[in-house]
Amino acid sequence: MASVAQEPASREPGGPEGPAQERRALPGWRAVGARLLALREGSIIVITIVTAIYFSVNTSNFFTGENLETLLPYFAPFAILAAGEVFVMILGEIDLSIAGLYLFAPILFYKLNTSVGLSLVPAVIVALLACMAVGAINGVFVSVVGVNSFVVTLGMLFTFEGLSLIISKGTPVATPGGQPPLGTFGKVFGGGTYSELIWAVAIVVILQIVLMFSRWGVYTVAIGSNKLGASEAGVRVNLVMIRNYMLCSLTAGLVGVFEAVRSATVQPNPAGPNEILFLAVAAAVIGGTLLTGGSGTVVGALIGALFLGILKDGLILQGVQATYLLFYTGLAVIVAMTANVFVGRVRRGQTGGG
Amino acid sequence: MTDSDHVHETLERLDYIDRPAADRPGFSRRAFLRRTALTGVAAGSVGGLLSACGTSASSGGGSAGVFGSHPSYKFVFVNHVTTNPFFTPTQNGIADACKLLGCTYQWTGSENSDVSQMVNALNSAVTAKADGIAISLVDLHAFNAPVEKALAAGIPVVAYNADAPANKRLSYSGQDLKLAGEEMGARIIAVVPEGEVGLFIDTPGSANLQPRIEGVEKAVKASGKPITTHSVATGTSIPGEISAIEAYYKSHKSAKGLYSVSGGSTESLAKVMQSLGLRGKVHAGGFDLTEQTIKLLGEGYIDFTIDQQPYLQGFIPTLQLFLYKVSNSQTGIFEANTGLKFVTKETVEPYKAKSRFEGTTATAGVVK
Repeated sequence: MASVAQEPASREPGGPEGPAQERRALPGWRAVGARLLALREGSIIVITIVTAIYFSVNTSNFFTGENLETLLPYFAPFAILAAGEVFVMILGEIDLSIAGLYLFAPILFYKLNTSVGLSLVPAVIVALLACMAVGAINGVFVSVVGVNSFVVTLGMLFTFEGLSLIISKGTPVATPGGQPPLGTFGKVFGGGTYSELIWAVAIVVILQIVLMFSRWGVYTVAIGSNKLGASEAGVRVNLVMIRNYMLCSLTAGLVGVFEAVRSATVQPNPAGPNEILFLAVAAAVIGGTLLTGGSGTVVGALIGALFLGILKDGLILQGVQATYLLFYTGLAVIVAMTANVFVGRVRRGQTGGG
Repeated sequence: MTDSDHVHETLERLDYIDRPAADRPGFSRRAFLRRTALTGVAAGSVGGLLSACGTSASSGGGSAGVFGSHPSYKFVFVNHVTTNPFFTPTQNGIADACKLLGCTYQWTGSENSDVSQMVNALNSAVTAKADGIAISLVDLHAFNAPVEKALAAGIPVVAYNADAPANKRLSYSGQDLKLAGEEMGARIIAVVPEGEVGLFIDTPGSANLQPRIEGVEKAVKASGKPITTHSVATGTSIPGEISAIEAYYKSHKSAKGLYSVSGGSTESLAKVMQSLGLRGKVHAGGFDLTEQTIKLLGEGYIDFTIDQQPYLQGFIPTLQLFLYKVSNSQTGIFEANTGLKFVTKETVEPYKAKSRFEGTTATAGVVK
C-alpha cells in the first residue's frame, strides 16, 4: 500500500514535467540552447556550427564575405534536391532518378529553346513539366504497380541519363540565357550570386510548412509510418505517393537548370549527377530524415547539405589535395555523425525522452 | 646573427625543402611561413652561402637567392579528372617545379569531369587567395566568367592540357589539339588508301578531345581519298571502351584502320588489336603513353602513339606562374606547345624505363 503511494512521488523529479519547468526557469542563452536542442534538427545544427567554427579558426579565408559567396553553390543545389527527396524518403521509398532528371532537364530546355523555338521561360516550364510527368510515372510504378522504388527509379535514372546522351549526342552546349552578360532570366534561374540560395531557402520553407501543417504533409508522414493504417483511415495513398514523386522530380529538374545556367554549359556527362544524387540523399539522412520512412525534416536536409558544403569548401580552402579529399571527407562525416548521435542523446535527455 | 646561425638556418631550410612531405596535404602553410620568416631575413645570403658551401643552386634551396626575396607562393591546379593516372606525371611536374622554386601547390577539381565542381574549386582557389591558378579548360563556356573574376581579383590564371579560345587565361601549356588531330589524319592517309576507318573518343564534345577528332576528319576530308570515318563514343572506363571498340570492329570487319583520340581508349584499342589478332591486318594508332600502351606498342599491336608530354603540362605552368609572380608580372607568361611527338615501335624503347616523367614511379628521375 505504502509502496504504491510512493511510486508517483518518486517518479516526479525525473518525469516529463521536471526538465520542462526547469527550462522555463532558466534565463538567457541556456534557454536558447535548450530550445535549439529540442528541435529535431538540433544536433545537426550544433555539429554544423562546430564544423564552421573549426574551419574559421584553422583557415584564415573561411569566415569571410567572399567565402560566403563561394560556399553557396557547395550546398544550395543539394538543399533543393534533398528537399524533394525528403518527401519521397518519408514515404519509406527512394528516388534515384533525380540524377537522371538533373541531367535531362537542361538538355530538354536547350532543345526546346534552340530547336523548337520556345523562348526561355516557356522552355523551362515545359522541361519541368516533363520532369513532373516522369515523376508521375515513377509514382504509378511504385504505388499502383507495386515495383520496388529503388529498382524503378534506378531504371529511370539510367533511361534518362541515356536519353540525355542520345538527344545531346554526347556534346556539351552553351546554356541558353546562361551566357555573360546575364539577363534577368539567367540571374533568376541560378546565374545570380544569391539566386540558388534564395530558391533553396524559399523551397525549404514552403515544403517544411507543407510537411508540418498541411493535410498533404500529415498524410505523407502517416503513409511512411503505417501505409495500411493510413489507407484504412481513408488516405488516398497512391495519389499522395504519386504527388510526392512528382515534387521530387520537379526539384531535380529545377536544380539541373540552375546548375546549367550557373556554369553556362549543359554537360551530358552522367558521372557528375550520380555523385550529386549521392550527396543529396546523404544531406537528407544527415539532416535527420529516416531511410526507413515515417519521419523527416526539410529544414534538416538544408542543414545537412550545409554541413557537407562547409566540409568540402573548408577542406579545399585548407589546401587538401584531391587525392586526399574523399578520405578526409569520409572520416569527417563519420566523426561528425557519431558526435551527432551523442548530441541527439543529450537532446532527448533534456526534453524528457521526447 | 653569427655565421653558424646562417649555416644552421640554411641546413634547416634545405631539410625542410627536401622533405618528402612537401607535396602532401595537411602540410601546414603557417609552419612554412614561420620558417620562411626566420630564414627570410637571411634569404639574400642563403644563395651566396650555398655557393660558398659548393652546393649547386639547382639542388633545391638556392632559388630564394636567385630570384631575390619573395614569399612562398601557393598555386592551385584545377583539373577535370583529378585521380586519372594520365595526370600523375603532370602532378610530378608540378611537385618538381615547386621543389625547385620553393613554392607549394594544391591539386583539386573534379574526379569525373563535372564542370560545376570545377567552377566551385576555382572559386575556392580565388577565396583562398591563391598566388596563381592553372586550370584545364575542358569546357568552352563554363570557365570564362570565373576566370575573369579570378583575374580581376589579381590572381594570374593559366590554362594547361585543354584550352578554350574565348577564355581570358594568360597562356596555354599543352598540345595544339586540332593540329595533333590533323597530323594523326596525315598518318592515316599515308597508310590507308580507301575504306572505313573507326575513330574512338571517350567523351565526344569535351574540349580536350573533340578538337583532335575534328582535326582527323578535316585532314581525311582534305585529302580527297575515298575514306569514310565513323566516330564512336567509348565512355571512360577501360572495360567499357574495350567492348565498344570490339563491337565496332565486329560490325565493320572491312575497316582498314582503327584510331583512338584519347589515352584510355588507345590502351583499350591496343588490347583489342591483341585479343582479336588484328596486328598486321588493320592499321591502328592513338594518343598518350600508359604503361600498357607502351608495352603493346613495343610489341607492334599499334603503329604509333602521340606523346603530349604531360610532365611539362605541370612543370611549365608552375614555372610560368612563379616567374610571373616573382617578376611582378614583367615576365613568365608564354604559349607553350608541349608537343606532338609520334612514338613508334622503333622509338618506344626509352619509354620502357620506369620514370617520374611518365608517372610510372614516384622516385626522382628515370629508374636506371
